[in-house]
Amino acid sequence: MLVYWMRSRQKIKTIEIGDGWWGSGERPLKGKEDESIRPFKIETSDKEIEDLHQRLEQAHYAPHLEGAAFHYGFNSSYLQKVVAYWRNQFDWRKQVEVLNKYAHFQTTIEGIDIHFIHVKPSYVPHGRAVQPLLMVHGWPGSFYEFYKIIPLLTEPARHSLNEGDVVFEVICPSIPGYGFSEAPHQKGFDAIATARVFHKLMNRLGFKEYYLQGGDWGSRITTNMAQMLPQSVKGLHLNLVFISRQGLRRMISVMLGAYVPWLVGLTREDVQRMYPFIQKNIYELLRESGYLHIQATKPDTAGCGLNDSPVGLAAYILEKFSTWTDKSFLHKDDGGLESRYLALTHCALRVSLPPSLSHSALDTRPEERVKFYFQVIHSDLEQEFDR
Amino acid sequence: MLLEVFLVLGTVIVYFLLSKKKEETLPFKDGWWGKGQKPDTEEDTTIWPFKVETTEEELSDLFRRLDQARFTEPLENSFFHYGTNSAYLRKVVSYWKNQFNWKKQVEVLNKYPQFKTKIQGIDIHFVHVKPPHLPEGQSAKPLLMVHGWPGSFYEFYKIIPLLTDPASHGLSDEHIFEVICPSIPGYGFSEAPHKKGFNSVSAASIFYELMLKLGFNEFYAQGGDWGWLICTNLAQIAPNHMKGLHLNLASVTNMGFIHLVSILLGRYLPGLFGFQDEDVRRMFPFLKKGLYRILLESGYAHIQATKPDTVGCGLNDSPVGLAAYILEKFSTWTNLEFHNLEDGGLERKFNLDDLLTNIMIYWVSGCIVSSMRFYKENLQKGIGTQKHERLTVQVPTGIASFPNEVMHTPQAWAQKKYTNIVSFHFMPQGGHFAALEEPELLAEDILQFVGKVEKEQLWRKKGD
Repeated sequence: MLVYWMRSRQKIKTIEIGDGWWGSGERPLKGKEDESIRPFKIETSDKEIEDLHQRLEQAHYAPHLEGAAFHYGFNSSYLQKVVAYWRNQFDWRKQVEVLNKYAHFQTTIEGIDIHFIHVKPSYVPHGRAVQPLLMVHGWPGSFYEFYKIIPLLTEPARHSLNEGDVVFEVICPSIPGYGFSEAPHQKGFDAIATARVFHKLMNRLGFKEYYLQGGDWGSRITTNMAQMLPQSVKGLHLNLVFISRQGLRRMISVMLGAYVPWLVGLTREDVQRMYPFIQKNIYELLRESGYLHIQATKPDTAGCGLNDSPVGLAAYILEKFSTWTDKSFLHKDDGGLESRYLALTHCALRVSLPPSLSHSALDTRPEERVKFYFQVIHSDLEQEFDR
Repeated sequence: MLLEVFLVLGTVIVYFLLSKKKEETLPFKDGWWGKGQKPDTEEDTTIWPFKVETTEEELSDLFRRLDQARFTEPLENSFFHYGTNSAYLRKVVSYWKNQFNWKKQVEVLNKYPQFKTKIQGIDIHFVHVKPPHLPEGQSAKPLLMVHGWPGSFYEFYKIIPLLTDPASHGLSDEHIFEVICPSIPGYGFSEAPHKKGFNSVSAASIFYELMLKLGFNEFYAQGGDWGWLICTNLAQIAPNHMKGLHLNLASVTNMGFIHLVSILLGRYLPGLFGFQDEDVRRMFPFLKKGLYRILLESGYAHIQATKPDTVGCGLNDSPVGLAAYILEKFSTWTNLEFHNLEDGGLERKFNLDDLLTNIMIYWVSGCIVSSMRFYKENLQKGIGTQKHERLTVQVPTGIASFPNEVMHTPQAWAQKKYTNIVSFHFMPQGGHFAALEEPELLAEDILQFVGKVEKEQLWRKKGD
């Protein structure tokens, strides 16, 4: 019995890989999936830009409450300034060139087209191995969030970083339903499905072992990837950690942590960031999670207007870039965004894609992203309530 | 010795009297909601007539936006599970463009006299319908009817004739009403408050001033959704002016230990907790019908109570987005089972003209953002935290409990707050938008409730 118990402790539990089909209609019974990796370039047109400009010009705004700053959400006076910049100074064609500076590709996995960028180091010192690194974005971000960090990872020496032994080739996919990855047509596409699709992607690119990095949804997806195929994941780096299993022990350490942090394994920095607990973790979480609640339950409703109104989309997304960067930005009339012109590229990216009629549909509606919330959280809830 | 006894007794009596008074009424909330500083001059007290108008420019702007609408294909076999199904939404938009006639609907809106007046710095819009004829010796009873979100004064257009002219609709004309339907500030044609802090007590105070301004010293009030809360607050502010309060929603926001116990055990020992068979049928299994349902349906309230300006922004700019957002509620809150239908069951209980007219009120007035702020002003500190939520209501109350309301409140719970429930009826059918969906049922319940109150002169009895 002792031997049995010891052996069962050593067995690592993994998530089942499973399989999926996300394309339109029925899964074709015959024929193998097209596994080609096709180069891809982002494009725009005069028509697209004119349509955008027209929508920006006809925007309706509601006057904000006096003294509200960003406490009621995105301040409409500041929004008008953002839109004026967007209409008159922001150059989407130029940004498209910026986006295309890295190599983009698409490949079909489980019935949908997966978009990704693949950046190899331009120079590899003799005898150095290049580590593959998969970096996964979140919401309301995109592969574009990594554009500044990629050169620091592929060419650390050039950026005065101590490279040690490490140089990376970076792969940044778009989560299906985001950016230039096709949106799933079937229900049920959650983080686990994404994890499996990304493993298949890395496999198709010829990688057997790789590093993973993620924040926001990227954190959840890469965590699932590590749980699914631990033998393929050399290391997992996260800039956000989800903990869904709260237990009695956690509750106790929360209660004691404010007074005797060392007893429950918390550092001084932990205490500074976590407490007052109710204020920071419950009240503030409730204040900031309305979007999550509605996206996890009624994504098609929430996303509909945002797909049709670029200004509405901008307000919705930029609000996150304000509050999630620094909570104190709530008190500012501009939400602390003045330095965040980068954010505009994200918005333009989402808005500018026209309804696609081609078979390789670039279905990038904001709704697709919000559906993702629904799938993940709904399946969590179902697990809770089906017990 | 005697003196001390008297002093102590006197203090105790005075304390009880004062504390009882403090507990019973909610103070009237004065305010100034206009732009900038409150001027020194006296407020303009006139009431002026108002007519809804439209222009060619407004219409062509709308059509242009409908034409350029961008839709996303729904997931296969998702019906209304993910929210408003965009395939059905396309049909609605097509109807909106090609068959819906806004000019004609504006005439429909204008068939009842409407007015505006300035109260506490903002223009308050209201409909005021007097009975077309009154039998000899009878006077019209003033009835204030308050809408909610995402509704409007238009929800009452079908029930108004049943109350102002019951005889012509096969109802008893023992009681005839003159009906006042205001728009909550920030909704429809009432000006939106410019200052922070405008909550249900503010709205109740403004409507109280409105009724007094119109010369009504005693009146009835009826409401559902936000109208439930506003009329409840009004009953708490001015119990001596309100003859009766009728509600088609009676939520309990002050949940306590006893509620928790009754949820856990109520299915097995209903009698112990005052539950009737119908209560048990509607409430249990509680996880599915109570908690899970609330979580599934309250995303909108969560985001509106925290970031109204963000969520409302796109809806104020995209009529299709606005329609999707509002229609979803008319589907799910009418019958939760409708979310299994491709068309959300919308046209089973409503016609598209009525639904779109309500949506147009939000669109042409640009009020979606200010309407959402009401959630933040009322809920930002959480549910059950406001002072008025702990106060009871002594005004004679009638509750019409519709079966498809999102969450059921049993009489056993309601009577802890509404201490003077005169009638509580389980309605045979209908959901959240009772006045629009089941005007006859609601009118009958109001009439029987008023009948009871008038017969026993119940409003005089409270305060004894």
